Amino acid sequence: MMKKIATIIIVSLTFLVAIVLGVAHGKTPTASANQRTTIVFWHSMGGKPAAALKQLVAQYNASQDKYTVVPEYQGAYTESLPKYLNVANSSAAPALVQAQEIATSTMLSTQSTIPMSQLLSNQTTDQIEDNIARYYTVNQQLQAMPFNTSTPVLYYNKGLVEQLGLTPLPEDPSYSDVLQLAKAMTAKTGGKTKGMTIEAYGWLFEELTANQNQLLANHDNGRAPGEYATKINIDTPAAKRLMQLMTQAIQDKSFVNYGSGDIAEANQQTAFLAGKLGLFMQSSASTGDLQANAKFKLGVTYLPHADGIPRNGLALGGAALWANKHQPANVKQGVADFLKFMASAESQAQWRLATGYLAVNKNAKNLPQITSAVAKDPNLGVATQQLATSQKNPVTAGPLVPIMPIARTNMETVMQAIANGAPIDQSLKVAQDTTNQALAAYNAANHLKK
Amino acid sequence: MIIPIREKLWRYTLLIGLSVLIFAPVLVGIWVSFLPNTAILNGQYFSAALTLGNYTQALTQTPILRYLFNSFVVAGLVMVGQVIFSALAAYAFVFLPFKGKNVIFYAFIATMMLPFESQLIPNFQTLRWLGFLNHYAALALPFFATAFGTFLLRQAFMQVPMALRESAMVEGIGHGQFLYRAVLPYAKTSLLTLAAYSFLTTWNMYLWPLITSYSDNVRTVQIGLRQLQATEAVNSWGLIMASAILMMIPSLVVLFLSQKAFKSGLIDGAVKS
Amino acid sequence: MAQNTSAIQPHQLTSQRGRQVITAHLTALGFLMPSLIFLGVFVFYPLVKTVYYSFFLTNALGQPVKFIGLANYATLLHDPVFLKSLWVTLIFVAAVTSLTTICALYLANLARKHLRGTVIFRTLFASTMGVSVSVASVLWLFFFQPTTGVSDMILNFFHLPPIHWLTGNVWALVAVILTVVWMNLGFAFLAISGALENVPTHLYETAEIEGVTPWLKFRFITLPHISPTLFFVATVTMINAFQTFGQVDLLTKGGPNNHTNLIVYQIYRDAFVNLNVGKASTESMLLAILIALVTFAQFKLTEKRVMYQ
Repeated sequence: MMKKIATIIIVSLTFLVAIVLGVAHGKTPTASANQRTTIVFWHSMGGKPAAALKQLVAQYNASQDKYTVVPEYQGAYTESLPKYLNVANSSAAPALVQAQEIATSTMLSTQSTIPMSQLLSNQTTDQIEDNIARYYTVNQQLQAMPFNTSTPVLYYNKGLVEQLGLTPLPEDPSYSDVLQLAKAMTAKTGGKTKGMTIEAYGWLFEELTANQNQLLANHDNGRAPGEYATKINIDTPAAKRLMQLMTQAIQDKSFVNYGSGDIAEANQQTAFLAGKLGLFMQSSASTGDLQANAKFKLGVTYLPHADGIPRNGLALGGAALWANKHQPANVKQGVADFLKFMASAESQAQWRLATGYLAVNKNAKNLPQITSAVAKDPNLGVATQQLATSQKNPVTAGPLVPIMPIARTNMETVMQAIANGAPIDQSLKVAQDTTNQALAAYNAANHLKK
Repeated sequence: MIIPIREKLWRYTLLIGLSVLIFAPVLVGIWVSFLPNTAILNGQYFSAALTLGNYTQALTQTPILRYLFNSFVVAGLVMVGQVIFSALAAYAFVFLPFKGKNVIFYAFIATMMLPFESQLIPNFQTLRWLGFLNHYAALALPFFATAFGTFLLRQAFMQVPMALRESAMVEGIGHGQFLYRAVLPYAKTSLLTLAAYSFLTTWNMYLWPLITSYSDNVRTVQIGLRQLQATEAVNSWGLIMASAILMMIPSLVVLFLSQKAFKSGLIDGAVKS
Repeated sequence: MAQNTSAIQPHQLTSQRGRQVITAHLTALGFLMPSLIFLGVFVFYPLVKTVYYSFFLTNALGQPVKFIGLANYATLLHDPVFLKSLWVTLIFVAAVTSLTTICALYLANLARKHLRGTVIFRTLFASTMGVSVSVASVLWLFFFQPTTGVSDMILNFFHLPPIHWLTGNVWALVAVILTVVWMNLGFAFLAISGALENVPTHLYETAEIEGVTPWLKFRFITLPHISPTLFFVATVTMINAFQTFGQVDLLTKGGPNNHTNLIVYQIYRDAFVNLNVGKASTESMLLAILIALVTFAQFKLTEKRVMYQ
């Protein structure tokens, strides 16, 4: 009888060994043949920026023989952030992770990262542009290395506009400029080119209301010392103006709805490049992709401002690189070394030219490769200019709010609902209430003392 | 049975029409996978020259082969695990005497009703605690024990003739030998059904690998295709379709090989219970 | 059969017998152990833990911080997003279950063995079972997507306006339903074809002689004989439909305006995107209860109408 039980145990054990072998096989490499230390780097870059990022990483890997940085794409920001949060304090955590600007508060709450002020020398951190560094500066410390930084801009088919005999948009267009152009493009092409779209994208919602000097959260966007955000503003006059821009375009029959998410982004870009879409708004980082693929003259302007409301300017968008603290010393050293390389003026200039993202290093703008490129193609300067001419106030410092992903989902829901004909006031109110409920629940669970 | 010619014609027309309709997405996919990307983006579906470029690109520039390998490993592990675990448990339920058999059996069956989502979060935490995230183990371990498999094999084992059992007892063969030599060969169809079923379900898993795998070294085809689709900024539909077609082949082959077993094993087991 | 084997040799001494009973139990335990351990670790323990979490407020790291009783349940049952998700899920499940079963039944009946070459058609119809979630979704995505999609091309050919497959409130749900039904068709077809083969042919022959119409033959001979299989197919399809995730993730991400936000997608979002473990656990429990209720109802409703062989 014992023999049989032994047999069963042996069978089970064999099986377990097979699993363990499977584990070993599936393991991410930690040290390659020539004893280089592996630095796992999670990022969210797709398309052209991904290629540019891989290029930079390859250059870094070739430049020294101590570390190998392994970039791993983890899906869009909204997907990679929760992935990181789920493993932040476990063995599956990467050494370096790219997290988007609105994740700053959430990343800090994990207490799993080392501030750049501690990891890097002042010499490196002092080179970061002030108006970019201030977004990621919390408790007087630079918490993460700003990396890909952008502002949303408006792209339009300037070639078609000129061909149709219409007036191109000014550098700082108003809502009515946009509406008129979209209507005219739709009409003059007999509907072959749909005038405009506004992607149901939370970031656009935020920036288009920020441009009207609307705070997204109370307590100075959650940045007031010793305070945290307790109320989110979605149902605001600024948001109503934005929604009316959409409904007016729908009424003009010059609006096309691509929905939201990766697929919508891909679709609006494909339609734009195919000449089926007149204008849309997207990150300045797409400039590179669009410039390379457009068979027509590309137009780039600031994000439009509401009629009669002075332009306030925008908060930066994009992402920063965060270093995980639960790593062996040699990995941390490698991360510091790699970040120093990534933040250098040369790397940033290369990154800027390859992608359309802004350079975070102060000295990059004076390098000849940048000055000559901007002189040759003024489109490249639009986003930099847009950020530089923005007001310096809590709105443009950006929201420091933990539940931003939920807030954005709710903003996107509103935008989709309105694109499908729902009433504006009620939809905005529902979105605001749901967001505030989520914020209240978050605060109740995470700020127990107050 | 004799069918009039007119009805025959009508049936054939319907059958062909419906096959085309049902197969349309696959046919379109295959066609598109041979078109250059510019042709797809400009809607030139019939005027463009066909190319194998998407396939060479998929095979050489994307980790698709690695995804396929990973899926084979994970589906293979789960398949072997489920067959062994279920066979052992089913044997105990059919041939071994013990107290509380009914209670334990119903506890097994009850798990079939539970959606995996009700175990999702704690399982994720357990595997994180074990340090298994982003390893094959995380993808395979939670699925080794299966109530459905145990149930299916129990039904099959119950068909083993009394004579076989009695002669085994007379000869004094142990349980392990009896299971291996007599019961398993007898229930071959059901074993095959279970193997194919668990292979296909594991191959098809989506949510669990999505949240537990973080690198191309372990990603399965389901998540790999999602990854490919997301990384291409200006949708490279040709490449994506070529990858999809390549990924479709293994599961189709498994299905064709096991179609017969499926029909008899799975359906009889489930219905005549 | 438990009694059968344990009572083999009644003449043995009690002590010997006692030892035998113990070894018999040990053997059984040995055979059951692997499954018991794994079910314990990966099914029963997590289930208890999920119930536990559903009574707690959890922080961003997923740790329970405050016992709140049934508050999570109460909040959810008043949460418009969750209620919408519930509603959408029920419509989705009903549509998928009925469409899959009916279409598969029709196809299986059409492709019965009376004709030459039906084997080919049967293999074709069954093959959607071998198309995996992401492949099926990507194939259909190409069909639906607006800029280069096939759907618009076809509609355009007939001078019909384009359909907003993935962005229209209703059409998006229709798109997901179509994709899921298409994928399920193979399995349902295979199962029903198998059952049709087992219907005794002599019954049809008798009916033929008496000149019974095809519909009546179907209604009074075929249907009663395959009803257990139909019931099985409907139940399996339904339980799977409740757990649909990949198609939503690839096609619509729950949009537009939550019109395809099936419960499982909402659970995923709350657990792994919004990191609200307490809420997600509560939703999981409600889903489990819902599935149990609907399955039970289905059993009760069909019990009397199903003829077992």
